[in-house]
Amino acid sequence: MLEQQLINGLTLGLIYALIAVGYTMVYGVIQLINFAHGEIYMLGAFFCVTLITAAGLPFYVAMLMAVVCCAMCGILLDIIAYRPLRRAPRLAALITAIGMSIFLQNLALIIWGSRSKPFPRTALPGYLTEQALTVGSVGLSWLQLFIFAVAIGMMLLLYLVIQKTRIGTAMRALAQNRTAAALMGINVNRVISFTFALGSAMGAVAGILVAIYYNTLYPTMGYTAGVKAFAAAVLGGIGSVPGAMAGGVVLGVAEALGAGYVSSLYRDGVAYAVMIAVIVLRPSGILGRAVTDKA
Amino acid sequence: MMGRAMVAQAKRLLPVAGVLLLTYPLWPGASEYVLHVMTLALVYMVLAMGLNIVPGFCGLLDLGYVGFYGIGAYTAGLLTIHYDLSFWVIVPLAALNGALWGALLGAPTLRLTGDYFAIVTFGFSELVVLFLTNEIWLTRGPLGLPGIAPITLNLSWLHPQWYFEFYGKAPNFYLAALLVAGVYFVMTRLEDSRLGRAWYAIREDPLAAACCGVDILRYKVIAFAISAAIGAMGGCFYARWSMFLSPDMFKFWESFLVLCMVVLGGLGNIKGALVGAAILVCLGELLREGLGAVGLPPETRFMAYGLIMVLIMRFRPAGLFPAIAASGRANPLLAALSRRIAAGDFAGDRGDNRDTPA
Amino acid sequence: MTPLLELDRISKRFGGLHALADVSFTVACGEILGLIGPNGAGKTTLFNCISGLHPPSSGTILYAGSGGLMRINGRKPEQMTALGIARTFQNIRLFNSLTVLDNVRIARHCRTHANFVRAVLRTRFQRAEEQAIVEAAMERLRFVGLAHHALADAGNLAYGDQRRLEIARALATEPRLLLLDEPAAGMNPRETRRLVDLIQAIVATGVTVILIEHDMKLVMSICRRLVVLDHGTHIAEGPPAAIRENPRVIEAYLGRGAVHA
Repeated sequence: MLEQQLINGLTLGLIYALIAVGYTMVYGVIQLINFAHGEIYMLGAFFCVTLITAAGLPFYVAMLMAVVCCAMCGILLDIIAYRPLRRAPRLAALITAIGMSIFLQNLALIIWGSRSKPFPRTALPGYLTEQALTVGSVGLSWLQLFIFAVAIGMMLLLYLVIQKTRIGTAMRALAQNRTAAALMGINVNRVISFTFALGSAMGAVAGILVAIYYNTLYPTMGYTAGVKAFAAAVLGGIGSVPGAMAGGVVLGVAEALGAGYVSSLYRDGVAYAVMIAVIVLRPSGILGRAVTDKA
Repeated sequence: MMGRAMVAQAKRLLPVAGVLLLTYPLWPGASEYVLHVMTLALVYMVLAMGLNIVPGFCGLLDLGYVGFYGIGAYTAGLLTIHYDLSFWVIVPLAALNGALWGALLGAPTLRLTGDYFAIVTFGFSELVVLFLTNEIWLTRGPLGLPGIAPITLNLSWLHPQWYFEFYGKAPNFYLAALLVAGVYFVMTRLEDSRLGRAWYAIREDPLAAACCGVDILRYKVIAFAISAAIGAMGGCFYARWSMFLSPDMFKFWESFLVLCMVVLGGLGNIKGALVGAAILVCLGELLREGLGAVGLPPETRFMAYGLIMVLIMRFRPAGLFPAIAASGRANPLLAALSRRIAAGDFAGDRGDNRDTPA
Repeated sequence: MTPLLELDRISKRFGGLHALADVSFTVACGEILGLIGPNGAGKTTLFNCISGLHPPSSGTILYAGSGGLMRINGRKPEQMTALGIARTFQNIRLFNSLTVLDNVRIARHCRTHANFVRAVLRTRFQRAEEQAIVEAAMERLRFVGLAHHALADAGNLAYGDQRRLEIARALATEPRLLLLDEPAAGMNPRETRRLVDLIQAIVATGVTVILIEHDMKLVMSICRRLVVLDHGTHIAEGPPAAIRENPRVIEAYLGRGAVHA
């Protein structure tokens, strides 16, 4: 029983981690909680399903195209909504982010309807719907293995991009000091766009994986997932990419255990409670830096 | 864009419009529906003025305001059903309960930067909804809390026949109007006081405020508690007016809607909050009808609210009607000062300042 | 001389960085002390320690209160202000969208008392206090020569006026010790001359001043005593004439080898 909970929690946690990375990267470069990130995640799932059902594309192609579309949505979101407010008070950008989140969510509601849809499972490669192995009462499906592989692969890729590439170095420079980075000749807006694209792509992948995992997608799915992923980012220390990954896994496992052993009614409450507790007790998170004002 | 002349004209018409609206229930053929919408607008005015304290005066984003609204509403509902307390006793109790939760939540979290605070308030209000949904023994959960008695006013100790029940729309409308007037009165007085100035200082620059002797944490907690108390009072009235409560009345959308009202009217602008509430309640009703006519679910009206917020922040961050925000000018001390400056009373102090451009 | 402030081996570390290391000196009542040193010497950090924004990592700050010298380490900024320590900021920090008068009225906060209930009821006490706040604020604004701008937005003031408004705001807290962080930065010679007059007028009212300033002519002309910091350490102290000749100070400013050049 415990093993099963752990496996389920880990699956969920890796997905949270994928979304959380998007929050944390954007926060790192422009110090904004991008509330609309959860909606990008939702759009990823809808794009993928629409490409499969309407355009008849095979699953992997549809997934790749949906991810690319979401990356572009992320860039557009920044250019249209956030870029004009770079010099405005932070409250203005934060309110805009909430506004965009609600706007996108309801746009999806109008386009795809409010009812939840099943994921077209016939389009999935056959093995993804099968059980991989069963040991005693503990089962592990190919789908879960697929999620592990994709999530861990994406994170390794992200790590390499951030640590080894020029643009990754520029991102880190921007997170340290935007003015100095600009003075060193870094094209700030390009780096920010890249950050949004990268974060949105990760979010879209998470959205698609969740839609397959739970076999359902609906326009408001980005709402709770977004908050939980944000909680994961806070837990790991906002601005820290490894922290977001760790935070996602910890939160996913905590939630599965909480639902299994405490009360399934408060399943979502675990995330909120963890988030509030971390913010109150250790605002810098597990791996983050302390947030202080400068004189 | 509104011209200056139009604003001046609108101001002259304002008292007439006010009287017409306030006497509406007495008109022959007054529509129950319109009266209901007007009362709803008044409830949201109370909420918007209460929320305004936190993002408007202190510059902190509060995404969980509806949590306090819910706490107030359920406090009132439960006290009415189980203890049959009078509305007039419940209002201060509910306000106190709201303020208590506000202080409990605010004291540990308001030390942090504004972003964290926003997300904590959000989490809090979601927890309130989860609590209301799951603690069935107390709240009956998703079934809701029906049969809350309407408001009564028992003055029979003055005169044996002075016992009133607030059935029907008109008495509740006037009670709500009274509530709005009361909160507005308190808000305008706070705005132009030592307390209000401390809040403004925190909004503008917390660090400089601290160096001016303002205990930032303390004044943030006070602001948050007052805001929560007003939200709870709004909830209290709502419970006794609608006579039914359910947890999904207090979801995040409500917080968002109230925030949108405050943003539309202009953050920190008390009159703006009133105008924003009136506009969005009316817009909500129109959209509900209009969207239904084209076959869209009524929730999609939130798309318009989202868009309004984005556009306001981009193009008119001071709100739709910054011209209405001439508050503080009414202060006789400042008016006297303004006259003295105009009369050149301080011209002698300029000294050798003539070369600095003003 | 009666000491107003005594710093005893003040250190401040940010992570591995020693911003201040064992800085000790004393400030006497009623003096103008110049605090100088190259960029990054730790001057502003020292102000942050004294004003309570960043409490020192170690060391003792003693301040002459009502009952003799007392230790004031680790008190919060608003408590320091209440004790009579006020400051200005190197990069001006006014409440820009509020009026000039409101900027100064806010600084009366720690000397006034009206609370929520009194504000709502607008009691006789509260009205009298509001009147007194306006009067006190206007007095400070007249003192720095900004009274005629009282109802303008602070953010719209000319640069030099903004600096003087910051001083008026600090004065409105009724300080005994005023910390001025580069008040002449960005001022033209005429504004600087006015500032010198203003600082001397402030000291004449009995306020003690510590002045961080890069304009050496200004510092040498109004300070009787200077303290020099370099890389977070106290390297020299004394009257301007001696400081000017001090080889360590010259080295700190001009680099090694300059002394022999």
